[in-house]
Amino acid sequence: MSTPSPEAVERLLYDEADCLDRGDLDAWLELYTADATYWMPVDPGQTDPKRHISLFYDTRLLMEIRRNNFGHPFAASMEYPLRCSHIIGNIRIMEGSDAHTCTVASNFQAVVYYKTQTVYAGRYTHELVSDGGRWQIRHKRVDLINCDAEHGNLIIYL
Amino acid sequence: MTMNPGTETLGRLVEANRVHRSVYTDPAIFELEMERIWGQAWIYVGHDSQVPEPGDYITTELGLDPVIMVRGDDNKVRVLVNRCAHKGAKVAARCAGKADSFRCPYHGWTYRRDGGLRGLPAREGYANTGLEAGDPRFALPQLAQVDDIRGFVFATKSSSAPDLRTFLGEAALTLENIADRAPAGRVECAGGRLRYRHPSNWKMFVENLNDAMHPMIAHGSVGIAARKYLQAQPEGTEYPGEAEIIFPFGSSYEFFDKMGVTALPNGHGYMGGTMSIHTDYSDIPGYWDAMVDAYGEARTKKILSSNRHNTIFYPSFTAKDAVQAVRVVRPRAVDETVIETYHFRLVGAPEEMFERTILYSRLINSSSGMVGPDDLDCYNRMQQGLRSDASEWVDMRRYINDDNVADGKRTGMGTSDLTFRNQYAAWLEFMTGVSPA
Repeated sequence: MSTPSPEAVERLLYDEADCLDRGDLDAWLELYTADATYWMPVDPGQTDPKRHISLFYDTRLLMEIRRNNFGHPFAASMEYPLRCSHIIGNIRIMEGSDAHTCTVASNFQAVVYYKTQTVYAGRYTHELVSDGGRWQIRHKRVDLINCDAEHGNLIIYL
Repeated sequence: MTMNPGTETLGRLVEANRVHRSVYTDPAIFELEMERIWGQAWIYVGHDSQVPEPGDYITTELGLDPVIMVRGDDNKVRVLVNRCAHKGAKVAARCAGKADSFRCPYHGWTYRRDGGLRGLPAREGYANTGLEAGDPRFALPQLAQVDDIRGFVFATKSSSAPDLRTFLGEAALTLENIADRAPAGRVECAGGRLRYRHPSNWKMFVENLNDAMHPMIAHGSVGIAARKYLQAQPEGTEYPGEAEIIFPFGSSYEFFDKMGVTALPNGHGYMGGTMSIHTDYSDIPGYWDAMVDAYGEARTKKILSSNRHNTIFYPSFTAKDAVQAVRVVRPRAVDETVIETYHFRLVGAPEEMFERTILYSRLINSSSGMVGPDDLDCYNRMQQGLRSDASEWVDMRRYINDDNVADGKRTGMGTSDLTFRNQYAAWLEFMTGVSPA
């Protein structure tokens, strides 16, 4: 087995975006490994998630807590319609990928309707792993083009 | 132009147990606050470790005024108004940098690091016009007073304001304690910042910091979500650091009552003192030993026994001694506020201490957190609900008959509204110049 086909990579990224568009964090979590992390830096080119603040830096533990909290009737911020639409393009399988690990860069635009409509845009970096069967996401980095701007509530993963 | 409310009108907005809704909604009151509170009080600017070398600067706002905090060639940290003396353009646009001088990009007027006018093009056109180099009217204006507590720099536009230590009173001890918690006795601002836009009045955020009646309701869901996760784990699973940060937000009313609240002059105050939601954080290996090496055991115990939940430095700044994260209030409009979070490294402490500061801030202070968005949403609901004139008042009477007064400060049950009443006593004094009875 070699690197994943471009079609397989595209399908995984599109499936992930579709889970977020549908607000289905249960299905979304299924695409991630048990040791997964999700990172949204606050500064361009940020290299450190632990000694530098981030907008998100979730381990699997926090991803699960966030999933449990998502839409909770006790959370004031969750009492509004939330609809998203992701577009992903310019998908590139990066050098150094092999049969077990694969790094994928892509561009995205996500329109989020939450009280008001907001456009987020930037670059995704997915690190995928395969146990020989299916490919899963071990790490996702989201570099917003306006990462260091003033943000309102970021209510869902992008 | 809006008509300013007079002293008599302002005086009617604050009663012993309630305030009028217009203090949160009226743009004319916001304008007056900028002049009379934010223009008179000591406002937090930044930490001197953000400008370690001569020429290093940051830009920020003092109320609505753009300012530059810059270290001069004489090593002194100054706060200058970021406004060219010529036509008023901001001379510095970056949020931080190093400058030999500040040159206005419009007509080239250039200022030294101390704000003095160094030069301008084609000077001959100003011969015999009254413009002379060295004339303070043609400098970047300096704030009337600038001072710091252990590197935390505050400034005031008022030359008649009392000195910083007098203004802050006992609140200053929180900043002393943050610095003392470093084995080297000093902290460094590090690890980037968060800027969180709130569509609500600045006072709602400040009040919430010592509002102990909201966590179990507004933050109830995240505790449930965390417990649900832990229950699904196999027995013997290690209790994660994230949980010890999240769980105390769901502490009981009794817990918060026991924590207590202290109201200080000028609107300042804090919750806790000897215990808080941060008391039970686990020890980080090496930290205790580094502290004992630096201070001895008795002093170390004393330093670490201080545990103030949130200290409010009215009106602009809040700090947590045990977490080493601070939040800065930047009002923009009557219904718009930006909250900035900064982080401090305890110099000489293990890096894991700083990692916990960052973890705390990401979980609690970030736009993506599972705590901040629910607070924000509640402020925004108030901002909208208070548009209605069906009821004119916002209630602040909880435990009003149970304040204890001793040594010039008032204390109460942790869930008392004392802290709000105290802030509005200061508000009224700033706004009208009259001390409340």
